Amino acid sequence: MVRLLPISLLFLAAIVQAAKLTLQSPRIVITTAGSSAPLHTAPLSLDNKILSPVTLNHTDTLKLTFQVVDEESGKGVQPHQTFLRFYDAQSGEEGIQPIRVTISGKAKFELVMAKPPSSLPPTTSAPLLVTLLIGTPDYSPLSADLFDLYVLPSQPAPVHPEEASFHPLPEIQHTFRPEQKLPPRPISAFFALAVLAPWTVLLTLWSTYAPRPKHLFSPRIFPFVATLAAFEGLLFWYWVALRLGDVLLYGAILGLVAFFTGKQALGSIASQRLGRK
Amino acid sequence: MFLPTLFWLAAVAIAGVHARSSAGDSVLVVVEPEHQAKYSIFFQNIKDRGYELTFRAPQTEEPRLVEFDAPKFSHVVILAPEIKSIAKDIGPQGLVDVLSRGVNLLVALPQKQSPLSAFAAEFSLILPPPNTHLISYFPERNESATIIPVAPSKDHPILTNGITPIWFSGAPHALSTNPYLVPILHAPAQSFAGEPDSPGDVLADAAEKGGEGLWAGSQLGIVTGFQASNNARVTFVGGREVFSDEFAQKEINPGTKSGNTQFVNDIVAWTFQESLVFRVDKVEHRGLNTPISSDKYTVNDNVIFSAYISKYDPQTSTWASYSGIDDLQLEFTMLDPHIRTALLPESETPGKYSVTFRVPDRHGVFKFVINHRRNGMTYLQSSTTVAVVPPRHDEYPRFLSAAWPYYVGAMSTSIGFVLFSALWMARDVREEKKGKTE
Repeated sequence: MVRLLPISLLFLAAIVQAAKLTLQSPRIVITTAGSSAPLHTAPLSLDNKILSPVTLNHTDTLKLTFQVVDEESGKGVQPHQTFLRFYDAQSGEEGIQPIRVTISGKAKFELVMAKPPSSLPPTTSAPLLVTLLIGTPDYSPLSADLFDLYVLPSQPAPVHPEEASFHPLPEIQHTFRPEQKLPPRPISAFFALAVLAPWTVLLTLWSTYAPRPKHLFSPRIFPFVATLAAFEGLLFWYWVALRLGDVLLYGAILGLVAFFTGKQALGSIASQRLGRK
Repeated sequence: MFLPTLFWLAAVAIAGVHARSSAGDSVLVVVEPEHQAKYSIFFQNIKDRGYELTFRAPQTEEPRLVEFDAPKFSHVVILAPEIKSIAKDIGPQGLVDVLSRGVNLLVALPQKQSPLSAFAAEFSLILPPPNTHLISYFPERNESATIIPVAPSKDHPILTNGITPIWFSGAPHALSTNPYLVPILHAPAQSFAGEPDSPGDVLADAAEKGGEGLWAGSQLGIVTGFQASNNARVTFVGGREVFSDEFAQKEINPGTKSGNTQFVNDIVAWTFQESLVFRVDKVEHRGLNTPISSDKYTVNDNVIFSAYISKYDPQTSTWASYSGIDDLQLEFTMLDPHIRTALLPESETPGKYSVTFRVPDRHGVFKFVINHRRNGMTYLQSSTTVAVVPPRHDEYPRFLSAAWPYYVGAMSTSIGFVLFSALWMARDVREEKKGKTE
């Protein structure tokens, strides 16, 4: 019972209706610069939105007039809050424009598109829903969707410089340098053969005049020739697999060998030439 | 030796049982002693969640917020905004100082001129002139126009889903475009800031003055969070009545209690680092074909980068692997990002996000950078430096077909040299001599 009491009190209180407000002769008039005749005039209704949306150009002016009156006595009322709310449902942008109401409840508002008020939110191609909000003590509040308003798109709302880092950033791909291009293998093979061509000349000439390598396998000459061949083999091995350190080590050993074998071989040739034998 | 260890273990165990926050459980509450009883439900709720409350009157010096240059409390609640002279360590300077050391703040904003107005301005909140209230005649109700039911938005990440509207009384604030702000609750579209008894002309006059003349509409905030770059959180509440027992028990509809208790719990959970708290546990990177991590990559290598992310679970006070972030990005940066790519969760390992990419063909000191900032979530930041080097002298491609003629040339020179040496040395010297003399 005790728990129910405040509920029933609230219920009773809710039944007590506050006085109601209504609008007298609300209408919009659209004029354009340079002509005094109105382009469009329409009465407004608190219950329904105007079906056809209102479109404004840069040069147009929208004039909204009404009188706020007490529904029962018909006397004018100056409300505490008389706002026109522009709302873009797509972007969520909202602007509120207070309307000046005289003590007798008469109100007049002009929206000059040549000089739009700061209360007009940044617009896109989507319409703005225009809502009239009236609130004042001792009366029921009044909220009415009046019409959809199309205006030309404005600059977008300013964005904080760090805002972008709070959203996924665009992906970045690295542009790689193109792969090195090799000429076709047949061309390389052709030129390799061209490099080998002088051998045919050499071998032809050698076949006509061939000095006989008579002493090649003599024990004095052959070790030096073999050492020289080993040097060339070492360089080939270096190209294919070895590191510099290994080459220097093996080269030093071979060099020592070449010193003695060379001394012996060249010495023997010299003594042959001088006919000491 | 044994005793301290035991004590430590016990302390850890107790902390494990109690603390719900990832940041610590000591709370300093700044409130006038005579008003303390007005918020008993709020205080009891925080206590029940495992926090230790310490009360302090705004003008007193003790207990200190910072002692020996270290904050003594993990969180601060300020419910005494109207005080003209506030103790220095909980004044604007002191609060910014502890915030930069990771202390979280829950601040009820003043409606009169007070040092806290300057504090709010530091966080890009624009407060209305002193002595203004949020007023709304909508919806029609018996309460005064300054006590307003506000419906929180349906799918706000910080608030419980389907929370009932709350009672609010206090001042709104305008929000700048600062992305570090986390709007939690906006003013109703029909509401405006003003004085309840002023004539209607005042509002139109204020609007005509331009600038911040008119304070109206749903762009205004009444409860707004701010997450600093060190992940400390501040929440500003337009009026301290939101926390009061009176509003917590007041019915929003006949038969339905207001959502204030739940709402306050939600904003406390966010502010005290219970909800939406994430961390990067570790990051790994290695070459695609190498099993171990390296701090050096060659240009054009393929690299696998993985990050392990967990979310704090306040129910169990533990960190659990979390694979729910779908817009994580990795940047491979030398001064500017050279590569920015999505870091996607792996389905086999929970909490693991990885990506494979080819290292750019620029050498230098690069960084793997994760810098994930989303409104209301802990900022996830990680940076790992690696060197990208050109190939070593013996790592370039070899035996190129284009070089065949050069190889052949070098080899035939070698063979020719050996052949010539052999022929020259093996020839018969005496025959030649004979020939010459003949």
